[in-house]
Amino acid sequence: MAGSLDFKTHADQACRAADEFVNIYYDTMDKRRRVLTKLYLDTANLVWNGNAISGHQALAEFFEMLPSSEFQVNMLDCQPVHEQATQGQTTVLVVTCGTVKFEGNKQQYFNQNFLLTAQVAPQNTVWKIASDCFRFQDWAS
Amino acid sequence: MAVKISIKQQQLAAVLQSSLLVQAPQQSGIVHNGFRGDGRKPGRRKWRLRKRGTYREHDDRVGGGFPFRKKKGRGPFRGKMYSEGSHKSRNRGSGGPNPRSRFEDDDGDVTMNDHESPRSRFTPYGARPSRRLDSWHDRDGGPSSIQVTVKQNSERNASANARRSWFKITIPFGKKYDKSWLLSNMHNMCSVPFTPVQFHYDGNKAVFYVEDSTAANALKQISRRIVDKDLYRVAIIISSSVPPSSVSNELKSEEIEHIKQCMSKRYDGSQQALDLNSIRSDPDLVSQNIEVVLNRRSSMNAVIKIIEENIPELLSLNLGNNRLYRLDDLADLITKAPSLKILNLSRNELKSERDLDKIKGFKLEELWLDGNPLCDSFRDQATYVSAVREKFPKLLRLDGHELPPPISFDVETPTTLPSCKASYFGTDEIKVLVSRFIQQYYSVYDSTDRQGLLDAYHDTACCSLSIPFSPQNPARSSLGEYFKESRNVRRLKDPTLRAKLLKHTRLNVVAFLNELPKTQHDIASFVVDVSTQTNTLLCFTVHGVFKEVDSKSRESVRAFSRVFIAVPAGNAGLCIVNDQLFIRNATTEEIRKAFVTPAPTPSSSPVPTLTAPQQEMLQAFSQQSGMNIEWSQKCLQDNEWDFNQAAQIFTQLKAEGKIPEIAFVKQL
Repeated sequence: MAGSLDFKTHADQACRAADEFVNIYYDTMDKRRRVLTKLYLDTANLVWNGNAISGHQALAEFFEMLPSSEFQVNMLDCQPVHEQATQGQTTVLVVTCGTVKFEGNKQQYFNQNFLLTAQVAPQNTVWKIASDCFRFQDWAS
Repeated sequence: MAVKISIKQQQLAAVLQSSLLVQAPQQSGIVHNGFRGDGRKPGRRKWRLRKRGTYREHDDRVGGGFPFRKKKGRGPFRGKMYSEGSHKSRNRGSGGPNPRSRFEDDDGDVTMNDHESPRSRFTPYGARPSRRLDSWHDRDGGPSSIQVTVKQNSERNASANARRSWFKITIPFGKKYDKSWLLSNMHNMCSVPFTPVQFHYDGNKAVFYVEDSTAANALKQISRRIVDKDLYRVAIIISSSVPPSSVSNELKSEEIEHIKQCMSKRYDGSQQALDLNSIRSDPDLVSQNIEVVLNRRSSMNAVIKIIEENIPELLSLNLGNNRLYRLDDLADLITKAPSLKILNLSRNELKSERDLDKIKGFKLEELWLDGNPLCDSFRDQATYVSAVREKFPKLLRLDGHELPPPISFDVETPTTLPSCKASYFGTDEIKVLVSRFIQQYYSVYDSTDRQGLLDAYHDTACCSLSIPFSPQNPARSSLGEYFKESRNVRRLKDPTLRAKLLKHTRLNVVAFLNELPKTQHDIASFVVDVSTQTNTLLCFTVHGVFKEVDSKSRESVRAFSRVFIAVPAGNAGLCIVNDQLFIRNATTEEIRKAFVTPAPTPSSSPVPTLTAPQQEMLQAFSQQSGMNIEWSQKCLQDNEWDFNQAAQIFTQLKAEGKIPEIAFVKQL
């Protein structure tokens, strides 16, 4: 029973983290791309439409060459990631979908998922992206 | 506690058997031809074998849904199913395939236009005034005293209507006037150029339409200002109207199919150039009685749709000689063919440079406008060039003449996206692990009872499902059955409901999955990305299509994206701890591509039983070739268990580099 309550607390915390994260992430992506990598762990992985990018430097280069974007998220789901998988480190799976218009390209649907981890420091806790997986989708309207 | 997914040995063998299906795209005669050494023509004799669950290698489906693109890459072996030609068709100028064949592949599959309503025919050009008659009335010497009468209610209508609304222009007793006399007088008198559409006589009245509120207002101003030879003042009545039938006519799907074939004939794949010059008089269309009149919205829309679905990479488009008098409809192509660089609009009826504003969005390098009235409206060539360049700053050539280089600075923002690639697994080891897991998982998931999935989940796993948010009443959408389970925390703020929709613990998760509609997944459609791999965690996303097999109506094809987080389980297995499933409707294109090869259900396929000598031969072959058991077995089977022949074919194919690496990856 206690475990179940505990799970609910985690699930609730996951939702709050996901809610805030999504706003910050896509806003930064669209408007302040230069600082986007600050949201990622040093060792973060990105798989972008099958292209694998790893680490801060590579991510920065990747995001710089990506055309400017306008993201619109219309679906968000999240789950607390099982502690056995993360060795106890608080981690949230965030799943989004919506539309994106990259400059010079037509608007496309996308699906994206992130693993966010809470980096606990003495003063504060900062959430960072450990993993990011993005794909264009071709939706029926 | 982690439990490895345990499918019985036999069951697994059945799964593998079915997953090693040989592709037989055309005739059954070439089934099992994968390792055969018979002298079929090149390209047919090679690896015809496709391992189901070997994922697409080049996923070109960016924003996808284009038949041409999709045909390119469907996995390492699948590419061979198509003719060599269609494989290399798109990018290179290597003579390319006959583009027609690509179009024809789509035969009978057009879902573009379901309208079956009968189509009445018009001769819109009968209604179009001849420009040469513009000054006609001077010679006619008609009196020129003028007055105005306008219906008051129409004034409000006219101003209130949007830019694209239509207006019906009625001239009472217009029957007694010659059309050209009437129109040329109106053209001369009217302060705004206008384009009469579908001019006809209706009883005593003359009637035509304009699609421009400014023109309609201006026409209103000249009512009773034209005086005929009997000194009768010509009244002009304006009322707002639905679009005239000549522009709103929809084409039937079989007509669209003909247009598509005609376009394929006129498409040069090596240049990515489509020549629609004077398309309405194309013999193939005329003989079918199909009118492709590109100044009609219905025709232009049909053409744009065909381009969008088949050749979005279009670089060059010739629309010469199509009597285009406005470019509003063409503007829709801007987003559909974003790479278009060369546009030929020669010998049309474009009257004003303002028309070009509609298509400013094309990043044109070459434009042809000669033979349009607008060309004559400039003082001199320099003014003309300057005006056109104003609209298209990057233009390099106009009407075949080189222009001074465009002004550019080195701060161009990037517009090219990295190409979309196929599945990303990271390492072969992970690829084998994840592929095998997915095959096993979905063979149980697609079975009649999903209880078997209990073994795949961790005791305290969790799972949730979501569908796209649709602003309409979602319960009534075709995804309605998933709606009540959809957990979109963007919309859903109630914590209790949020918690309820997140299924927690293995029993709840599997019970939940068991309630979802019964499915059959197209494993060949799967694209998998492994985004994180640590000692304790494996996170991967599966995209693909499935169909619901027990739905009451026809089978519904859906697309899904599913994130799994798994922890290692014993014996190199995986145990799911997190599962997020996103389901949406499949696109027409996805539906068309789904289940191209009917996959036998694992339960119905015969369990392969190898005799003892075969087992022995298999071991030996695997050892000598270095290929894993599956691939060795495939090779032997294809060669009727003739060890020497199989070895010979293997050696040959290996020397030609035609055996994929996966064949040498030994199962864990």
